[in-house]
Amino acid sequence: MTGGAKDVILLNQVYTTYEGADLPVIQDVSLHIKPGEFVVIGGPNGAGKTTLLETIAGLLPVVNGSVTVCGHDVVSDGCTARKKIGYVIQNFDFHPFTPFTVEEVVLMGRYGKIGWLKRHSGYDMEKVTSAIDNLGLTLIRHNQIGKLSGGQQQKVLIAQNLAKEPEVLLLDEPFSNLDMVTREEVSNLLCEIADGGIPVLIVSHAFDALPNRTIRVLVMQNGKIILNQQSDPSKVGNLVRTASVAA
Amino acid sequence: MLEFLIPNNVLCHAVEAMLFASLGCALLSVLITQMNISSIGFTMSHAAFAGGSVGAFFGFAIIPSAIFISILTAFLMGPLSDRTRMHTDTTLGVLFGTMMAVAIFFIALMQGTGKGFEASSLLYGNVISLYREEIYALALITILIIVFLIAFYKEITAIVFHKRIAEIAGIKVRPIYYGILFLISIMVAISIPIVGGLLLYVWLVTPAAIAYQFCNTIKRMFIMAPLIAIIISVTGAVCGIMYSLPVGPLTAVVFSAFFVGSVAFSPKRKVIFHKH
Ligand SMILES: Nc1ncnc2c1ncn2[C@@H]1O[C@H](COP(=O)(O)OP(=O)(O)OP(=O)(O)O)[C@@H](O)[C@H]1O
Ligand SMILES: [Mg+2]
Repeated sequence: MTGGAKDVILLNQVYTTYEGADLPVIQDVSLHIKPGEFVVIGGPNGAGKTTLLETIAGLLPVVNGSVTVCGHDVVSDGCTARKKIGYVIQNFDFHPFTPFTVEEVVLMGRYGKIGWLKRHSGYDMEKVTSAIDNLGLTLIRHNQIGKLSGGQQQKVLIAQNLAKEPEVLLLDEPFSNLDMVTREEVSNLLCEIADGGIPVLIVSHAFDALPNRTIRVLVMQNGKIILNQQSDPSKVGNLVRTASVAA
Repeated sequence: MLEFLIPNNVLCHAVEAMLFASLGCALLSVLITQMNISSIGFTMSHAAFAGGSVGAFFGFAIIPSAIFISILTAFLMGPLSDRTRMHTDTTLGVLFGTMMAVAIFFIALMQGTGKGFEASSLLYGNVISLYREEIYALALITILIIVFLIAFYKEITAIVFHKRIAEIAGIKVRPIYYGILFLISIMVAISIPIVGGLLLYVWLVTPAAIAYQFCNTIKRMFIMAPLIAIIISVTGAVCGIMYSLPVGPLTAVVFSAFFVGSVAFSPKRKVIFHKH
């Protein structure tokens, strides 16, 4: 990885708000993430974890501070930044009859990269196929997404963001619908991605399937980061619990 | 355009109008039904209705006034649905009521002058006495819709699937979304004098609703919906004119019959029964 010390994600005293909210939801958050870091974000419901990911992805108005991802200011140039950001969202509810297949949805992840007025290439399809295979979706590749189970849909969204070849990967509770075996598989996959130099940030309440590597733990509470430290995978659960109780 | 096929001038114009109106509307119907913004149909038709009645009241020609107000509303549509932070459909509902009120207000003011009746004709449309220019306008907007769909197919389908996910993919959602709302609005404004505001609604929803019963990808819907719409509409125009029946209502009723039929035979509604 070139420039191993450069921050891929850089938040500087950031305050973000939702349109129409009275107070900023994220308050005074500063964060520096380097290539290849594996970050677990914990904290109680409503703490602002999803909001933090949305802020990094440039999807929310930033009222103060700066957010830079891969050298792009996400506030002024969000579209360019998002072509490099993989982001698996927490809440998706697809209509059971939505007329899109697994393959189409996975390919969609690359649409921004492909650019205006262009069709997908053989290379794009290669990435789609390998992402689909990696998540064990090969047999349901041509099925309609709305008719899959919640866990299968979650895997499709993960595949979509892998096919995108992101330079930063954000996942909001990616394990919530997955069975135990799949959790471990996905977790190993994410570990490989991080080892390849791409920072992986996951919001999770499940700490049993973390990969065996150094993990940076962030705990959020009331829109602030109250804990930010390196840890072994086995100690993450305890760290999050004690930090949340103490706060 | 089709004179070489259909020597009867009235019939020829009617067929051309129905062909383009149904093709353009059916393509849009796929977007409208999948994005759950079907109220854009009646909102826009009432914007045209309001425009027509305001125009009539102040002594302007009805159709240009209707188109003018519709285009104005078309420009407002996107930003308005953003600002209000509600479902686009809710904003449209409010707008629909407002337009209806404006229309009725001015028609009431014109009671006794006969001009109100002229404006009401926008609700029913007329395929018999069309100007050449109206047909050209219809052809133009339909071509524009096709070009827009082909050029931005990726972006449009991603937005139809899930706006947030499209945005995360790095797509500029807003200009495309506004573009979709704008094209729908223009199509409605131009089709209204022909098929009428009330019946236009059928064109903007039913073709996709029928296609939806048989298609499981959006690509197929984009092909099947226009085919169904063109066949029914052109047949409706020919039969209506040959047997002196009102073309718009006749076609609309046939559409609904097809919809009922398609639901009855849809593979999507198939349920496997077990004998106990
Ligand atoms: N669209 C919105 N508009 C206004 N406020 C919002 C919106 N979405 C979330 N909030 C508020 O922001 C705060 C943080 O929400 P967020 O979704 O980031 O929490 P979270 O940590 O992801 O919780 P969970 O574990 O339940 O997913 C909450 O107090 C919530 O009320
Ligand atoms: Mg959340």
